[in-house]
Amino acid sequence: MLRSSNSVSKTRFWIIIAFTLFIHIILAYRFFQLQILDYDIYTKRSNSNRIRAISIPAPRGLIRDRKGEIIVDNYPTYVLFGIGGDIVNKENNYSVISKATGIDTLILSKNYNKNFRNRFLPTKLAKDLTIAQLSRLEESKNMLTGVIYKQFPERIFNPKIRASHVLGYLKEVSQDFISSFESSDKYQHGDLIGWSGLEKQYESILRGKKGVSYFQVDVFGREAGKVREEENSLPHPGKDIYTTLDIELQELLEAEFEGAKGAGVVSNARTGGILAYVSAPDYTPDLFTGLISQKDWEFVLADTNKPLLDRVANGTYPPGSIYKMIVALELLENKKVTKEWEVFCTGSYEFYDRVFHCWSEFGHGKVNLQKAIVESCDIYFYQAIQNVDLNSLGLMAEEFGHGNKTQIDLPSEMKGRVPTRGYLNKLYGRYGWSEGAMLNISIGQGELLTTPLQISLYTNILATKGITYPLHLVPSKSKLINIKKITDANWNFIQESMERVIYAPRGTGRKANPEVKGLKIAGKTGTAENPHGETHAWFIGYGEKDDEKISVVIMVENGGGGGDVAAPIAKNIFKKYFNSTDFKTASK
Amino acid sequence: MFSELLNKIKYSPNLILLPTLSLLILGLASLYSIAIVQEQPPPNAFSKQIFFLIPAFLFLLVISVLSKRLIHKYIYLFYGIAILAVIYPFFGDKVSGTYRWINLGPSLTVQPSEVAKWIIVITLARFLSDNNLQMKNFNSIIIPFLIIIFPTLIVLNQPDLGTAFVMMSPIIPMLFWVGAKPLHLFLILAPLFSILFAFNVVVFYLWAFILGLIIYMSRPKIFIGLSLYFGNIFLGLIFPLLWNSLRPYQQNRVLTFINPELDPLGAGYHIIQSKTALGSGGFLGKGWGAGTQTHLKFLPVQESDFIVSVIGEELGFIALFAMLCFFAWLIIKIIILAINASDRFSGLILIGIATIFLSHVFVNCAMSAGLMPVKGLPLPFISYGGSFLISSFMMIGLVLNFGREEIY
Repeated sequence: MLRSSNSVSKTRFWIIIAFTLFIHIILAYRFFQLQILDYDIYTKRSNSNRIRAISIPAPRGLIRDRKGEIIVDNYPTYVLFGIGGDIVNKENNYSVISKATGIDTLILSKNYNKNFRNRFLPTKLAKDLTIAQLSRLEESKNMLTGVIYKQFPERIFNPKIRASHVLGYLKEVSQDFISSFESSDKYQHGDLIGWSGLEKQYESILRGKKGVSYFQVDVFGREAGKVREEENSLPHPGKDIYTTLDIELQELLEAEFEGAKGAGVVSNARTGGILAYVSAPDYTPDLFTGLISQKDWEFVLADTNKPLLDRVANGTYPPGSIYKMIVALELLENKKVTKEWEVFCTGSYEFYDRVFHCWSEFGHGKVNLQKAIVESCDIYFYQAIQNVDLNSLGLMAEEFGHGNKTQIDLPSEMKGRVPTRGYLNKLYGRYGWSEGAMLNISIGQGELLTTPLQISLYTNILATKGITYPLHLVPSKSKLINIKKITDANWNFIQESMERVIYAPRGTGRKANPEVKGLKIAGKTGTAENPHGETHAWFIGYGEKDDEKISVVIMVENGGGGGDVAAPIAKNIFKKYFNSTDFKTASK
Repeated sequence: MFSELLNKIKYSPNLILLPTLSLLILGLASLYSIAIVQEQPPPNAFSKQIFFLIPAFLFLLVISVLSKRLIHKYIYLFYGIAILAVIYPFFGDKVSGTYRWINLGPSLTVQPSEVAKWIIVITLARFLSDNNLQMKNFNSIIIPFLIIIFPTLIVLNQPDLGTAFVMMSPIIPMLFWVGAKPLHLFLILAPLFSILFAFNVVVFYLWAFILGLIIYMSRPKIFIGLSLYFGNIFLGLIFPLLWNSLRPYQQNRVLTFINPELDPLGAGYHIIQSKTALGSGGFLGKGWGAGTQTHLKFLPVQESDFIVSVIGEELGFIALFAMLCFFAWLIIKIIILAINASDRFSGLILIGIATIFLSHVFVNCAMSAGLMPVKGLPLPFISYGGSFLISSFMMIGLVLNFGREEIY
């Protein structure tokens, strides 16, 4: 044994050595390639493997009234989630949840399918869980797998008022919105966004900035500690917005409109700050929070009174006689009539082959301009308007904000319509309309359409002789409105006439007088004919006491006569506002 | 007697212990990192590995001083025992889905194939050195081939493709060492290539051309040459047909047989995670104990099969390069000992052991680095695993013994 000699050719020895070295060099090169050449790729991959970013919701800013009282607050609600990868048996889990909370399993599975993104992200099953529901869930926790709940701030509203059209509501952002939005990374699936009203207008202020918390996960997706190298950022809460609204006034105005259709706007005549803003009927603002049932939703949509329509900004109505101040100023400024020029009103007026009626069946007798405003004689305006150029009248109307948006800080608003010659030509053809159309326009009827919001601005302009600020809900720097085209004498004449509407024995606005000591009010009523039935009742007016001036616009849709229906509402507003001891606080 | 033992130890090529122990320390450092950072209470891989070092060194010492004559004399007996030992698990219960392990107690299992690897090498060495074979003759390599193929097939059925590969690999360099014609070695491997290349038409044409060229140039008898050529081509042609006639689940069963660690979720998940760990380590690594891939358990079987990725992630390229240098040093040193050995038996054993180490290093590193599919094969001295650690030290013992200059 062991006797055979170990005679090996040197070549074979070197081949084996070379092969060994070759293997090692291949391996070394491969490690070099992975660790040096492709280092960046694998570092990135390693980080994305393990680092998860979780956003921390920022509390949304509150909405307050002019005295600082909270109108819209945040309220913690509980949302139930299921994690796809962890739920062992969905049907089982659903029935356990259903038993504990009373939520139908069908709704749960429907929500799950609707909200499912991927098997690692929590999928929303139900929201607005009560503490009682949660505690029952907690009891049956050992029967659940992959079901978690999280706290989620939700909007809660001051119970005194609704103000639903002003405040607006939040909505979960849709996938379309996320992908369409310019800076789409700002919104993620499940985020809420202001969808209407102030919530939408001031979204960027209210929203705040979400915080991010980084943590690392292990291969099973379980949290495995914080990450050192990534900076966590705390959420920046949204800023509160301080509106010009007055909760008490809003409450009263809403009560006045209870059961009626219409619009009411109360504003500070000098600053343009809106104190109360009602579109009736409205809806409770929490309609859009929580789980609105399909039935409720259809009920709201099917309501012929259109509670979702913001009549103040988006409803357009013929203004009726409240428009007469514009016609009067047009007549005076262009010297078409003198203040003394009179017309005899018999209650009707024949114009070519048509008979135009005054609202007063028996006529007003001898009527001058002031009387025509105070007693709202139509015959006077029918006759006076015949010397007026329609386009010139339109320009005057536009000075008062008609035909243009008021630029209020709300996301949606209508322009209304101020008919010009061009407009009528286009509508009816060059010879399709007669001067008779002018007669209708002279009393705020016909093709004329305005929004109650425009009327509010118009009233403020009348109240301040053309020096006021644009309408707004949240104060900001804005350009002064300063109408110079009207002489002081004419302003005085108009204001005096409007005062006489309230105080003259036959003034149409007598019912608006609250008889508050030291309060001087002025106004105008309107009873607008419309194709939808009963006349719209209008009252516009302003009151001044101790250097404090507010304006009130009331429009009751199909309500009847302005003096009987709208004026008493205005009276209550004036009374409430000027009787309260602190009416001057924070009204700037 | 005692001084004789001391002399034996003194004249052993003890320098090979230096790379061995360096590799051992590198492995222990990584196992310690896993145990400490992941807060695994003892007994964990690190503490068990430390424990296994005791029998490992004892075996190393015993084997390094064992009489070569005795080893030579009884190796066929050991071969028989080894065959029985690798068959034995088939009569017991499966452990982790395979028949690799023999249960020796409540928490002690041994893997006989680890030891069988080098017993086969010695067996082969004795056969090749005892018989004055005419290596120019193809028939001379048939019996060596049978010696090695028999245990290999058993291990393949355990199933353990990795170990089977390691078991099979020494035959080529050992035959080469004793002067087998390269053509004959090539012909042993040819059927394997024929099957592998059959899955790509272009590669298969190329292979058919090269095969024909080599057979033609070696000028065999016309009948043998033709049958070799067409046998291979036929194998290559028939194999894809057989494969495609299998139903997908049967194919999967075969694939799982070849590669049991194949992730059921697919897409080479393990390899991706391993490459990510390696790549993100960079030149200097993330720092000892700071490997995120490792400690967040993205890295699978990190104590054994993917320990290279742990080292690469935490200690960087520099550590892996050093590791490869130590391995190269160790293996080349063994090959040098082999050529300096005074007898063919010793030389062959050393070549066989060098091949076993080289196969382990290559398969393990190439797998971790994504160069080849996942084959669960540990890295000598570094990976966790009792049987393998002890077996590796036994082989070092053999190197010390058979690499010793005969002074008496």
